[in-house]
Amino acid sequence: DIQPPEKPLQAEEWNRLREGFRSPEIFEEVMFNNMVRCNSPIDVAKSLLTHVAKSNGDIAYGLLVKYLALCVHQGQTSEICDVYDIMKIRFKILESGAYNLIIRGLSNSDQWRMALTLLEEVKKIMIPSRTNYESCIKAACRHQEMNLAFELYHEMLAKDLVPTLDVLQAFFDFSRGMKGAELQNQLFGILLYLRENQIYPHKTFMRSIKLWFESIPGKNWRGHLTNIKDSGQCPVCNHQLEDSDLTEEEYNNLRERIIRDVIHGTDPFRKTTPQEFEAFQTFVENRLPFDVVIDGLNVSHIKTRKMQCENLFDAINCLAKENVRLLVLGRKHMLINSSNWKREIMKEMQNKADFFFAENISEDDAFLLYATLRSGKHCKFVTRDFLRDHKACLSDSLTRHLFRKWQRGHQMVFSPSVEGKHINFLPAFRYDCVVQTTGDTWHIPYKDIFEEKYSYRVPRKWLCIRQK
Amino acid sequence: MQSANMLLKKVVSSVLPFAAQHGMKKDLFPLSRALSLSLCLKQDKSCGPSEKLDLDAWKKVMRSGLQEEVGETISEHKEELSSLAAAREILEMWRLAGRKVPEHISEEQLKTFVECPSKSAKKKYLKYLHTKELHKKNDKRKMDEKRERRLETQEEASKADETKRSSFICLWASGMDRAYNWKAAQSMVFGQPLVFDMSYEKDMSVREVENTVRQMVLSEGFNRRSVDPFHIHFCNFRDDSLYHKEFIRHYREAWGKLLITVTDQCYTEVFPKDKLVYLTADSPRVMKTFDHNKIYIVGSMVDRSIKTGVSLARAKRLGLETAALPLDKYLLWNSGAKNLTLDQMMRILLTLKDTGDWKKALEFVPKRKYCAFVSKPVHELKKTLNLINTLKFGKRQEEVRKQFAKNYSKKLTKK
Repeated sequence: DIQPPEKPLQAEEWNRLREGFRSPEIFEEVMFNNMVRCNSPIDVAKSLLTHVAKSNGDIAYGLLVKYLALCVHQGQTSEICDVYDIMKIRFKILESGAYNLIIRGLSNSDQWRMALTLLEEVKKIMIPSRTNYESCIKAACRHQEMNLAFELYHEMLAKDLVPTLDVLQAFFDFSRGMKGAELQNQLFGILLYLRENQIYPHKTFMRSIKLWFESIPGKNWRGHLTNIKDSGQCPVCNHQLEDSDLTEEEYNNLRERIIRDVIHGTDPFRKTTPQEFEAFQTFVENRLPFDVVIDGLNVSHIKTRKMQCENLFDAINCLAKENVRLLVLGRKHMLINSSNWKREIMKEMQNKADFFFAENISEDDAFLLYATLRSGKHCKFVTRDFLRDHKACLSDSLTRHLFRKWQRGHQMVFSPSVEGKHINFLPAFRYDCVVQTTGDTWHIPYKDIFEEKYSYRVPRKWLCIRQK
Repeated sequence: MQSANMLLKKVVSSVLPFAAQHGMKKDLFPLSRALSLSLCLKQDKSCGPSEKLDLDAWKKVMRSGLQEEVGETISEHKEELSSLAAAREILEMWRLAGRKVPEHISEEQLKTFVECPSKSAKKKYLKYLHTKELHKKNDKRKMDEKRERRLETQEEASKADETKRSSFICLWASGMDRAYNWKAAQSMVFGQPLVFDMSYEKDMSVREVENTVRQMVLSEGFNRRSVDPFHIHFCNFRDDSLYHKEFIRHYREAWGKLLITVTDQCYTEVFPKDKLVYLTADSPRVMKTFDHNKIYIVGSMVDRSIKTGVSLARAKRLGLETAALPLDKYLLWNSGAKNLTLDQMMRILLTLKDTGDWKKALEFVPKRKYCAFVSKPVHELKKTLNLINTLKFGKRQEEVRKQFAKNYSKKLTKK
């Protein structure tokens, strides 16, 4: 591969390099790519452009964009403006790549207002990308034009673009120490946006939020990092967090949607059959309400060294306390005496819990959701499955959020820390893990690491903010 | 002279590393040295080569060469562009920016492009058109080369001018066609039926339907050329369907002359239910042998987004027997989905019908999907493998225990 030169070259020198290159027809492109990669001085790039312009009388759009990338990377504002001028003369419209570069380049300079006019230009031909908005909003924030920044932010939300955490953080960073009820409400609005979309800020973002709160003049906000107790109480301010119960309406809504989207879906025969589902429904109605619903097959695989029915037996014994009604969902093959499923143990289990056996080719997870939801708000379920495929069946994001909230509050998980002989289960969360406020307190869960690898993992660390 | 020498040193030292970096040939050195030297000698001592360059000259060229066009572009700019024309312009710019975009795009394709629901969908569609265009171009180039070669050989042949004698007139193609058709016609009367279930249109995207029909055309071709063809039935086939449109695009007037049965009836209305077997990869039942008295059903569906259980649901609804190919039994599966293309299914079924030999039949499973063919069922092999492993492991464990016991007793005795 060819290295870009360190100094501007004369035309004949470029020619010589070009002839030495194995495929001269793409020489300029390859050279420019390498210049961008090595971050060569722009004078070198200019000399190549001059050479191309003089020998062809024109410069291809692709080369101009690559030159633009180099200029943006090095913050050469006047060059960016020049290239934009030339492109505007030469082409009717530009494509998104060039617009992205120019907007990014200009927003980082004292010409940042021009980035705004460019954003308007982009809007005429396409929906701007979220990074376009990000550049403009950050530029406005940097110059303390918070109203403008919020205007752009709301515009972006209206276009269904999802703001990056970076943008949201910028709002808090640049509003630090500023007065004004309007501004405050806007920032509270961002916190509520986090709440509604069940987004957890990362550590540095959390710190920005904390600093902003503490900087509001005359309000005396104080923030503390803490862990919430299992009971749902904040150890700092003794405030009891919201529970994860859904409202009556939300609950019914979720149940209907589970039946419609997850169990029936496009074809009721895919996961079960109408006859089987009906049989299951009457089975459940006759025995309501349950306290815990167990995914039998899932639980039976907890310890691989043990017989599957033993695992299930242990789990049932662990969960069965006085007057707790258990429902175990399984498949018909569990009833056939085999090395993993002993008939006597199955018989004994059936004395302690209700069992429903689905067809071997039916999906028992869907039944699990239905039985739990039908039993009422107090009912919990046990499975190690994250139920992501079922969540994905729900058609709109609002219901998916409801589902996640309900899942957090009702799923009991096998506790992996216990390496002993007994099976143990962690109780479901008693409180809801979202950003929440009472007016004079805010509680904000946050992630320790920047990247969220698992969508189902819920943060355990909290920021407690209250007024003194 | 001294100063010139100094200068020479300076120039050489600045050119040398550069030249070395670029792997310039050695014979270029004297030339470059002379050039840069003469260049510098002409000028003032202190100047480097860069100062003579007008680095912004390209801007002048770009601006000046296009002065006359400016007025025109501005007036055009103000015109309200229709969405299609605007899309065409954006495409043009993307092409200039070096993205994967087709050079030519029809009005219809442009409409599909505009209607794509998301940015990534648009990108994918354009890439698809782009590669399609590339393939077409390559094919055309190959055809042209072939034609040229043929013309050359013809010239040579005419020079040689020697006609060969043969008892057959050269009518291979049409003769074969007639023979195939005769067999296909026979199969229409005596052949074993094979059903294609054409009720999946609403489960597929337009492109998936296109792929499906392509695979079915291939399947029909393999069937026609086989020793003992199936009697192909297209069931649940509707005349206003996209399937139909695509078939006509492929077969043109031959569509009406195909020796297959096409009906809008369901297979359950045409055949007795207890004879039907629905073939689906999701079936819990595994096919052991090919039954010449059964009527096998294949779902005419391509599912790029692996829709599990769609065809199994259909069989469940009608209460039909189902079966899956014994892929896991005979093949050490490597990767990829267990669903096969329709033409692969057809060739497997044809081979099974003729020979009953699973090894021969499963040759048509793509090689990338499996590691090896096994004569013994895979699960039995695994059992023996496990047995060997535990034996080995067990032995070693025994050794370790003995060793430990020895050491332990040593420790005890030391104490």
